Amino acid sequence: MNVVRDVLDQPVVDRNGRAMGRVDGIVIEPRDGRPPRLAGILIGPAALGHRLHPGIGRFVSALEARLGVSAGRPVLVDFEAVDAVDSKVKLRLTIGDTAVDAVERWLRAWVIKLPGGR
Amino acid sequence: MRKLFNVVLGVVTSIGGFVEVGSISTAAQAGSEFGFSLLWAIAAATLFLAVLAEMAGRVAAVGKRSMAAAVRERFGFHFQMVPLGAELVIDLLLLTAELGGAAIAAKMLTGIGFQWWIVPVGVAIWLVLWFGNFTVIEDGVGLLGIITLSFVVAVWRLQPDPGQIAHGFIPRLPNHDVMRYAFLSVSIVGATVSPYLLNFYASGALEEKWTEQDLWINRVTAFLGMGFGSMVAMGCLVTAAIVLGPQHVKVDSYEQAALMFVPVFGRWAVTLFALSLGVGCFGAAIEIALNAGYVLGQAFGWTWGIDKKRRDVARFVTAFSTVLLLGIGIALIGFDPLQVTLTSAALTVVIMPVIVLPFLVLMNEQEYVGAHTSGPMGNGLLAALTILGAIMALVVIPLEVFGG
Repeated sequence: MNVVRDVLDQPVVDRNGRAMGRVDGIVIEPRDGRPPRLAGILIGPAALGHRLHPGIGRFVSALEARLGVSAGRPVLVDFEAVDAVDSKVKLRLTIGDTAVDAVERWLRAWVIKLPGGR
Repeated sequence: MRKLFNVVLGVVTSIGGFVEVGSISTAAQAGSEFGFSLLWAIAAATLFLAVLAEMAGRVAAVGKRSMAAAVRERFGFHFQMVPLGAELVIDLLLLTAELGGAAIAAKMLTGIGFQWWIVPVGVAIWLVLWFGNFTVIEDGVGLLGIITLSFVVAVWRLQPDPGQIAHGFIPRLPNHDVMRYAFLSVSIVGATVSPYLLNFYASGALEEKWTEQDLWINRVTAFLGMGFGSMVAMGCLVTAAIVLGPQHVKVDSYEQAALMFVPVFGRWAVTLFALSLGVGCFGAAIEIALNAGYVLGQAFGWTWGIDKKRRDVARFVTAFSTVLLLGIGIALIGFDPLQVTLTSAALTVVIMPVIVLPFLVLMNEQEYVGAHTSGPMGNGLLAALTILGAIMALVVIPLEVFGG
């Protein structure tokens, strides 16, 4: 499995098929004398920002902290919890086990206030 | 039968939704300054657009991904930053231009200064996006856009010589202002092949849940829809050529462009032109703002969709609302919409190669188009378009300086 091609930037779904975002980052664990191991995947804008530049990642994390949504983010999913990798990365978790939709929920509180929305 | 109805509706709405501030501006200028001789540019640009749109539709129907999603998944975020960033900047500029165009149209209809219309138009757009759904938006915009057929009616009433029109489809250098001619031809391409159209078209295919069975609908909508739509733009060029050309009117403002309807529509001239411009711009602005939501949602992996409950797509709603707000803000600064339009057309041409290149790869990957990969002809065409795009990208800025 080519991690960069098949895992990175691919959509992630939970056990029930619900969309959880994209693989924004991967965690690689170096091992002595053996090829490095894919330890886990990261989901969240802070992880994506970090890929561009660590400073951007820190900035996004600080922003999330300001909004009060930084707990458990960026979401780190251990590779053990990955069920399958085909056109999407399927996890054994459910979306509620993670903090992936923290920003969505935060914004939802505002969207609901607008009159007449469906 | 139902499918056939939907296809016809799709083509009709494509016609109604084709022209907006960029195509009207460039067609009016091209017609008034060079007669029929830039018709080939509109035809070529439309073909370019239809080819790319059909491909984007193919990836959506077979690969179930929009362009933004496909580019991120196939090329990674680092690559995507370039086309994504550029597209968002251009979309914002174009949105500003469309808002300006709609505001000017409102001014022509009411006499109230165009700056006063920016916020009401912007709010109206937001309300459509907040309360609407995909069918209402697509069909509403397209059907209201039928008013733009005024340009076609005008040509029909003016009875131009078909032989001379046909000559306009053969590219030929003019005997005056070659730089200006080249600049306008490239601007026509930039105004026609707007990057937002490709992702919007693909997102629409996803909203309508097209499958591999619908690929024929994709081809018909892309080629016939846009083909017929381009006739409206051509109508604008021809009318400008016949009415404004002989008077050597250089179109510097939309009020001047509206004069092209006077011989045909008399006292209805300004009303019909303003309605055509206004509806075209209003519809395009809705699509651009909506597309910003699509692009960001798809690139970053949010839940998105204009048919979904708004509370379920809070980031998507925030995205299109923020982009709309930014567009309103920039439009209020008061830049001349005509200038902003031509600038965004030029910038579109500059990034054209980066937009076309991903297609070259995606069209050959089963993951994205299944068995419907491009054959050698399709690839040859795309390669030619990429090279053409690169050439235009190199010359557009010098042309803007010397011919703008």
